[in-house]
Amino acid sequence: MSSRSTFIGAVEIGTSKITALVGEYTGRELAIIGYGECSSRGVTKGAVVDYKAASECTHSALEQAERGAGERIELVFLAQTGGHLEGFYNEAAVNVKAADNMIDAADIRTVSDLAKSKELPAGRMVVHNIRRPFRVDGRLVPGNPEHLVGQRLEVGYWNVHGQEQRLADNIHVIRGFNLEVRELVLASLASGHMVTTPEDRQHGVLAIDLGAGTTDYVLYRDGGAHTTGVVPVGGSHLTNDLSIGLRLTEGQAEKLKLRFGRATVQARDKAEKVWLDGNFAIGDRQFPRQAIEQITAARTWELLEVVKKKLGNAFSPETCAAGVVLTGGTAKLPGIAETAAKVFGVAAHLGETPSWVAENLRDPGNHTALGLLYYGVQAQSDRLATDRRRGGFLTSVKKLFASN
Amino acid sequence: MTPRNTNTPARNWRDIPQQMSPRTMSQEGRRRVMMSVLKTAGFAAVLGGLVWGGFEVAGTFREAPSKKSDAIQAAPVKDLVLMTDGVLEQAWMNRTLALPRNTSLMALDLYQLRNRLLASGQVRTATLTRSFPSTLTVSISERAPVARLSAQDKDESPRTLLVARDGVVYEGVGYDASMVKTLPWLAGVKLTRAGVTFQPIAGMEPVAELLAKAKMEAEHLYNTWKVVSLEHLQSDGEIEVATKNATKITFGVTEDFFRQLANLDAILDAAAAHPEKSLREINLAVGPQVPVAFADAIPASAEQVAGRSAAPVAPSRATTSVPALILPNFSHP
Repeated sequence: MSSRSTFIGAVEIGTSKITALVGEYTGRELAIIGYGECSSRGVTKGAVVDYKAASECTHSALEQAERGAGERIELVFLAQTGGHLEGFYNEAAVNVKAADNMIDAADIRTVSDLAKSKELPAGRMVVHNIRRPFRVDGRLVPGNPEHLVGQRLEVGYWNVHGQEQRLADNIHVIRGFNLEVRELVLASLASGHMVTTPEDRQHGVLAIDLGAGTTDYVLYRDGGAHTTGVVPVGGSHLTNDLSIGLRLTEGQAEKLKLRFGRATVQARDKAEKVWLDGNFAIGDRQFPRQAIEQITAARTWELLEVVKKKLGNAFSPETCAAGVVLTGGTAKLPGIAETAAKVFGVAAHLGETPSWVAENLRDPGNHTALGLLYYGVQAQSDRLATDRRRGGFLTSVKKLFASN
Repeated sequence: MTPRNTNTPARNWRDIPQQMSPRTMSQEGRRRVMMSVLKTAGFAAVLGGLVWGGFEVAGTFREAPSKKSDAIQAAPVKDLVLMTDGVLEQAWMNRTLALPRNTSLMALDLYQLRNRLLASGQVRTATLTRSFPSTLTVSISERAPVARLSAQDKDESPRTLLVARDGVVYEGVGYDASMVKTLPWLAGVKLTRAGVTFQPIAGMEPVAELLAKAKMEAEHLYNTWKVVSLEHLQSDGEIEVATKNATKITFGVTEDFFRQLANLDAILDAAAAHPEKSLREINLAVGPQVPVAFADAIPASAEQVAGRSAAPVAPSRATTSVPALILPNFSHP
């Protein structure tokens, strides 16, 4: 291991499972060297409701990942989701100050600060300020407008904010392991970054991360994130509906969902029945397959409709040429891509894990943690480079005392 | 929930304090904190130690540069350790070095002490090592004597000196007298004074080789050798050996000593069959044909000579004045 490497942890505190990854960042490349996972406890719809239980699970996953990596994590990128997250769009415009109308860094800073300066209600905090492309005299500028000539500079920000206590709870869980949270990343941005290509993002693509407790989405346009959102409904609601509709326990309903659940109704024979366990044990029961499929399909359709409704005018098939990409644990539901295509009226497919990801991590449920690491490193590359420069001799000496 | 425009930036998640609270930490978290604290403390301790040490050393040199060396010089030599591959003893070393009492280790002039040791020809090499705080270790390798000689200065009684393989002449110390008695005397050499010692004897190398080979391969012959003369070594390349029986044996330095010794052994064996004849001279330096001279030659008839032609040693018409030629039936292995 290089003494100049930074060991970064990526943690997703999800409703069904908590995932931790360890990445070794050398300044040029990032390698995943550790993985830890723990069934989630104390987390509902992406929010920590039992601090102790959630801490224990998260710390267990972190410990497992560190053990696998054989290194100690130095800082953490934490995924953020939950129904408390909201977003709004705000834009600002300034007249270019220079006499020759050439835009300088001060103009850009001023207009950016103005667009971000929005007072939030009490108890709310900004999680992300996602910048949309600049406009110079109404002309779209995908990159940096510095040194371009124009009279009026405009920019808009999609500002994501969340409830302070919820954010603090998540951060404290990580601090309880004596680790610094360096970056808080929206789960949708992390997974979206993983399953879409730069070309997709340029053409317009909607990435939907269907988790157990929440559904996170991000709409990309013009190469960047345009709108994000969270729907506090996920795969566990499908389980819940099955449980109520078929009068089953949560565990039994989950089992049926995983074995026979579909996002489209395929069974034509109403009389076709399936066994709950299929092991002929006492208590094993039969259920109509069509009923199971109808329940899961209806709920899935409804969920995707909610996402479409929340996107509102931001989404249109014309601005989403690359279609819809689905990811997350619930995206494994058969037929979900067909349903999404019908709901959104564009092509839909399941997000693929890039080929360079190790076989044991190639699961839609891990896309958020993987994306978190890569998106986080990209967002923090300047700061991480500074950290590594600060390292040098002192870091080397400190490493002499490190016992892993 | 409608955000309002403002001039101040909204609160960011980075404003959430990330201090540690032991209450909120898990057991693993506390362990990590403990490890971190220990590491930091260890690092600080080592760094502090280095800084303190640096200041101490710098201070010592700044205030009194001689203080440090004085402290070292103040330690007197307590132990003298001798390591040798020969016979010299501790008492000899103490006498030779003659260190003053309470001399400190650093005050010793090791070069001078080494010269004192080397002044005795018996010492071939000497290494002196300071082992702090108070031990001087002397490692020496000694010369081994190959011959002895008797020297006498004016108005002095004769004294026995030993000669090493490299020709160095020295007064042997610590040798067993019985061992010294087995050494042959050296003759035909001229000793030249060099201060209190003598110049090394030139050409001792082949002599030492002959003696060593004889001692190793034919000790029964070697034990009869009394005097080894180097008189004709430089001029004729011959080493003359006088035995206890007054036989003069001449070895040639250009011939293989082993072969010559084997010839000699064969000749002596053959001669032993004729106790009535006493050998006076055997010259092994002339090649395969070895002239042998008898002290009391008895004229032999032609028949007798012919009848003994098959014998390994066949002296014919040997006289005191005309040596007979013999052809030993001996082949080198």
